[in-house]
Amino acid sequence: MLPRDRRLPLLVTVLAFALPVLFVLVPLAIFLVYSFFGVDQGTIVYTPTLGNYVRFFTDPIFLPVFWNTIVLCVSVAVICILLAYPSAYFLTTLKGRWRYALLMLLLVPLLMSYVIKIYAIRSILGLNGFLNKALVALGILHEPSTLFVFNMNAILLTLSLLLIPFAILPIFLSLERIPQTLLRASDDLGASGLQTFLRITLPLSLPGVASAASFVFVLAIGDFLTPQMVGGISGFTFGRILYSQFGTAYNWPFGAALSVALAIVVICAILIGERFGRNRGTSI
Amino acid sequence: MGLKKAFLRLATIGLGIGLMTSAALAANLRVLAWDGYADPDWVKDFTAATGIGVDVVFIGSDDEIWAKIKGSEGQDFDVFAVNTAQLQRYIKADLVSPIDISKLPNQKEVLPRFRDLSQVSGDTKDGKVYGIPFCFDSIGLIYDTDKVKPAPTSMSVLWDPAYKGKILAYDNGEHNFSFTALTLGYKDPFNLNAEQMAAVKAKLVELKRNVLSFYTTADEAQQIYQNNDVALIWANYGQQQVKALQKIGAHVAYINPSEGALAWLDNWVISKGVRDNAAAEKWIDFMLTKKVGGELSERTGFGNTVVESSSAGGNDKLVWLNNVEDPLKRSDLWNEIKATP
Repeated sequence: MLPRDRRLPLLVTVLAFALPVLFVLVPLAIFLVYSFFGVDQGTIVYTPTLGNYVRFFTDPIFLPVFWNTIVLCVSVAVICILLAYPSAYFLTTLKGRWRYALLMLLLVPLLMSYVIKIYAIRSILGLNGFLNKALVALGILHEPSTLFVFNMNAILLTLSLLLIPFAILPIFLSLERIPQTLLRASDDLGASGLQTFLRITLPLSLPGVASAASFVFVLAIGDFLTPQMVGGISGFTFGRILYSQFGTAYNWPFGAALSVALAIVVICAILIGERFGRNRGTSI
Repeated sequence: MGLKKAFLRLATIGLGIGLMTSAALAANLRVLAWDGYADPDWVKDFTAATGIGVDVVFIGSDDEIWAKIKGSEGQDFDVFAVNTAQLQRYIKADLVSPIDISKLPNQKEVLPRFRDLSQVSGDTKDGKVYGIPFCFDSIGLIYDTDKVKPAPTSMSVLWDPAYKGKILAYDNGEHNFSFTALTLGYKDPFNLNAEQMAAVKAKLVELKRNVLSFYTTADEAQQIYQNNDVALIWANYGQQQVKALQKIGAHVAYINPSEGALAWLDNWVISKGVRDNAAAEKWIDFMLTKKVGGELSERTGFGNTVVESSSAGGNDKLVWLNNVEDPLKRSDLWNEIKATP
């Protein structure tokens, strides 16, 4: 019997290991195992097979959709970074209370339900929506355009809008961590503002950019709801195929195999993000 | 398989609790139904008229009914509601009892299309009646009366290039194959051979190019309708959808296509574990009164089997939904259709 005062820490340690194992590793292992099963007449057949993976690589529909989805999500990440970097940079130039008040404002959308946001965005993008009305009123368009809704553009716009907060935060944190002394030293040594930015601020903030990009990419590629709701007929993404395997198709094994493919891409994205993040981070 | 064991144990405990509660209410008729099928005032009237107490449990999905009935081998409920497509599965699994029509005087007074139950596909097996039709709705076509002139009569209008980009269709492979098969004139839309399947697929690719988007919920369709130029909606949610649209001031009307509209039909059935068969028959007969039927349609917007309602005119051709030959195949093909550029 352990002494009383040592039992609690032990329990905490066991829990600390047990929870991730139970709630993360075990489910992951289960779906990995499922990906090697098959389906016959609507019931799952528990004999190991590679059929699901063979189908993924040989069927002409999956790889192109998979590739298009990756391209789409990379574009979302790029757009998010391009928009988030200036905002985050602007935030760091503010003094004191304003900085955090504005940061909070930028993060407020995260408090809203995801579905409501998609609904709202969709009505903005629609043919009679705010965007079209504004563009027509400004004389930029002659008549409302269907360019913005129910296609890939719509997914790209919506995902970017939804995920920008996830890009702002890491970039802001990495910019904020840059010691002011470095910037002053650069100034003292006669560098212009642009030179200081390009040679000091930008390189030192790249870890934040890398983690922001991987955050956004991972969240975007795992999303099926946004494409489902704004993608219409041409915006068909991998997430939607995956979703259908668990819903209407009732083909869990194949869905699991598709998830494994997705998980591999996600893990790669996280690893790349982390690798860049750490390399630069430690070199300060 | 330790996990499976754990699940089984959990299920057993749940079943135990279920049995305890049902034992406590031993005298009452146990009804399992969708919300809207056993309203409190009807239950009160039924008890007042027959002296039989009723316990109602509401369900939210077909799978839930199956789980509840199969889980107790029919012992937990006396009467339940299930649609024609599902019913054959319960008959096969020996979970339901045949019903003696002669004990249901009101069944003789129902609308003509429900009178001969051997003509209602799915309700009978080997000459025995297992389901008594109660509530239905068709999956017709909603059209904007300002934009679509003259009024359409067939689903083929969905392929009309005049309405390109103004059509909302439903995101479900199974139904889409069935209704397209009807539009192409195939006899049995639920059992397509390879050749028919290929023809329907090609036709659906054309449909896809003509639609604005595929929706999944009624709310979603309504929201898209409000924010875009929509002329035609394939109405998976039938009357409810029409009424919701009319409520927001949309100028829309509803038709059942002449080639036949897919329609779901819910039935009352008596479970294998029924304790008092006479009480169950009285319940079903009570549900077939004109008062309940009329109120059902008024409250839910669905069609009832006793008095005429807006779900379908007397001459409309309705095709009761049935299990399809291979749901997985249809769903895979549907994905292929959506992935086709």
